[in-house]
Amino acid sequence: MTRLLRILAMTAAAGSLLFANGITGQTTAPAIKVARVQIMQGPELESANGDTAIITWRSNNPGGSDEHFGVVHYGSNPGELSRTAKSHIRLNPNHSYTVFRVLVDGLKPQTTYYYTVDSMQANGSSDGVKSTVNHFTTR
Amino acid sequence: MNHRMLTIMISVVALCVVVLCMSLAPRKVSAQNVVQDNAPVYNPYPPGILPSDLNSELERVLREVDFIEGRALARWHSLPPLTVTNQPPIFKDSGTEAVETLGELMNYDKNISPNKNQACASCHMPYVAFSGPIPSVNLTMIAYPGTSHFRAGKRSAQRYPYAPFFPVLQFNEEQASFFGGNFWDSRATGYLLRNPDAHQAQGPPVDTQEMGNPDTACITFKLSQASYRPLFEDLYGKGSFDINFPADTEKICATPGGASVFGTDTTPVKLSPEDRIRSNNVYDHWGQALDAYEQSVQVSSFSSKFDAFLAGKAQLSPDEMAGYNLFRGKGNCNSCHLDGRSTAPTPPPPEGTAPNSQDTGAAASTAPLFTCFGSSNLGLPLNPRDAFFYQTKPDSFGFTANPLGFGYRDLGLGTFLRSGFGSWASPNSTWTQFAPANDGKMQTSSARNVAMVPEKCASTEAPGPYFQKEFFHNGYIKSLKQLVHFYNTRDVFPFDVTSGNCPAGKTEKVDCWPRPEVRNNLDMTIGKLDLTDHEEDQIVAFMQTLTDGFTRPYANRDTFTGVCKTGGSAKTQGNESLIKTPHLPPCASAVCGVPPLPTTPIP
Repeated sequence: MTRLLRILAMTAAAGSLLFANGITGQTTAPAIKVARVQIMQGPELESANGDTAIITWRSNNPGGSDEHFGVVHYGSNPGELSRTAKSHIRLNPNHSYTVFRVLVDGLKPQTTYYYTVDSMQANGSSDGVKSTVNHFTTR
Repeated sequence: MNHRMLTIMISVVALCVVVLCMSLAPRKVSAQNVVQDNAPVYNPYPPGILPSDLNSELERVLREVDFIEGRALARWHSLPPLTVTNQPPIFKDSGTEAVETLGELMNYDKNISPNKNQACASCHMPYVAFSGPIPSVNLTMIAYPGTSHFRAGKRSAQRYPYAPFFPVLQFNEEQASFFGGNFWDSRATGYLLRNPDAHQAQGPPVDTQEMGNPDTACITFKLSQASYRPLFEDLYGKGSFDINFPADTEKICATPGGASVFGTDTTPVKLSPEDRIRSNNVYDHWGQALDAYEQSVQVSSFSSKFDAFLAGKAQLSPDEMAGYNLFRGKGNCNSCHLDGRSTAPTPPPPEGTAPNSQDTGAAASTAPLFTCFGSSNLGLPLNPRDAFFYQTKPDSFGFTANPLGFGYRDLGLGTFLRSGFGSWASPNSTWTQFAPANDGKMQTSSARNVAMVPEKCASTEAPGPYFQKEFFHNGYIKSLKQLVHFYNTRDVFPFDVTSGNCPAGKTEKVDCWPRPEVRNNLDMTIGKLDLTDHEEDQIVAFMQTLTDGFTRPYANRDTFTGVCKTGGSAKTQGNESLIKTPHLPPCASAVCGVPPLPTTPIP
């Protein structure tokens, strides 16, 4: 039993040594910010209910801060996309592409909305995504 | 002999007489009296909220706690004498095990609670990786009863393993996010001890709905009476307990916190300023010793099959490997539950470039923690079984845990940043401005040991034999299958209803997810992952490789004396205990009306 305890203690000491370098090892380096963020698929309507809709698209991995936001500029007039919705997503530095999904809230039922999309880093700086003006209609 | 020593000796003799008298006094030994000595049971709950086997299960756990305390005492007695060497002073050779053993002795010491019926371990047993040990509680009331029966907290019991590895809470400007801390809402920041886990350990002993001591000095007082006091003094100094406790300390410390007799007094044990400093030091060491135990290889052991896999000493099965590839590929789980692998794009196409089932990257960490230390709002529905919602009337001590009833909403980190109702005060006013961006966010737990169950139960999953666990902060999810299915389909099967009110023909947690309790700051990394049913199962299989105890036995995992369950399906596990959420009043102003206000109103 004493031997077992001694082994446990030794292993504990080894664990402590491991821990000394552990924290830094947990954080994966953010993906390098790419020169140009291009949409590969979408944007399109994923789902729409009475007062909410989810817009989704896929782009190359923009890189930069892991904490990221998808952004939808929208409005019921295609010439005036004055409202903005943004949703949090977390970039995966190991992935070559990123799926953005944005929850748009507070919509009116049976109304057509026009929108463009972008994404941005946690500090608010835009990824400079260019998208066409699409539309959807709530139920 | 000086006057101080004489006073201490007289106090000790007097206490011994009191304790002896108490132990000789006739007592009933019915179940009710074992768990609650004097006060009438507080039961504001509608029928069915408290599980029918609650008393017998609390007693079972208490027996298991005592058993492990016995093991810890034996461990202490087998320690070699502590020898101090060098400057700075080091307890050469055996210091590590000594402080870990002290923490272990504290963790399983039920005498720390006012009714001497609850240890830290009562809600955190090793056979479930130090999460909640009572299947029926996990299934029903979610939060565990405290020393004062049956007050209860508001959230599920978080696992100990790897909690000591979280850094001190910090706001990262580049990520515009908080990282670190302990507790679901990160309120144990570690700002003063520089150790969130030690800070965390200072919470439950004085939490009104947990151990419920009315004053941190009560823990010092009880430690001064503990059989293992000599070990504490060996490590932290012989004078640690040279404190003149007032004559009414015992009485005060047997009364649960929040009792109306205390009014607003948070230090009812009246100590001199010097003694208060000594007591605070003891309480800091209480936190640090518990942290030492939780960080030890007995608890955070890095002994899973996945660890063996990383070391090249074990092969993952085809399903486990497929699950791992999904975990870091289509499932995208490792965007937050970091697996410490290389930054090369290792997953198979389309996420990465590696051939299927082939790991081409070198490990960036040999001991990944499967968390990013951050927080997110996953959009879990309000769980109407949470015992907190029903504690709206005063108990026999005049304490009311939740005067807001169903007007309460759990905003997690957001409420903490506002120093709000049900959390702690924030130690940093510059953080307050970030509260609206953090409403609804809860800490990302390590995925390690999420699947740990007692040896005799095969898994967490029906048909079993299984151990009924609860997942996430409010225990809404009851199996790992459901957990993965939630991530996968939250936004595929959304219904604008509350739990228990899915439309006819729909099955809650299968093809109906009630609306989130808090919609603000919803994490959209998840919600529609396009995983097949089989792929969900493969991710579950992978998560089961993260259970410690594969490369060597996990300490005290053999202590479960309860019963495993059988039958049913993991998809609908626990659905028989669903209850209808009542009509919810708006979020109370004490929660949602505290500036800075939520970005959009929380219904």
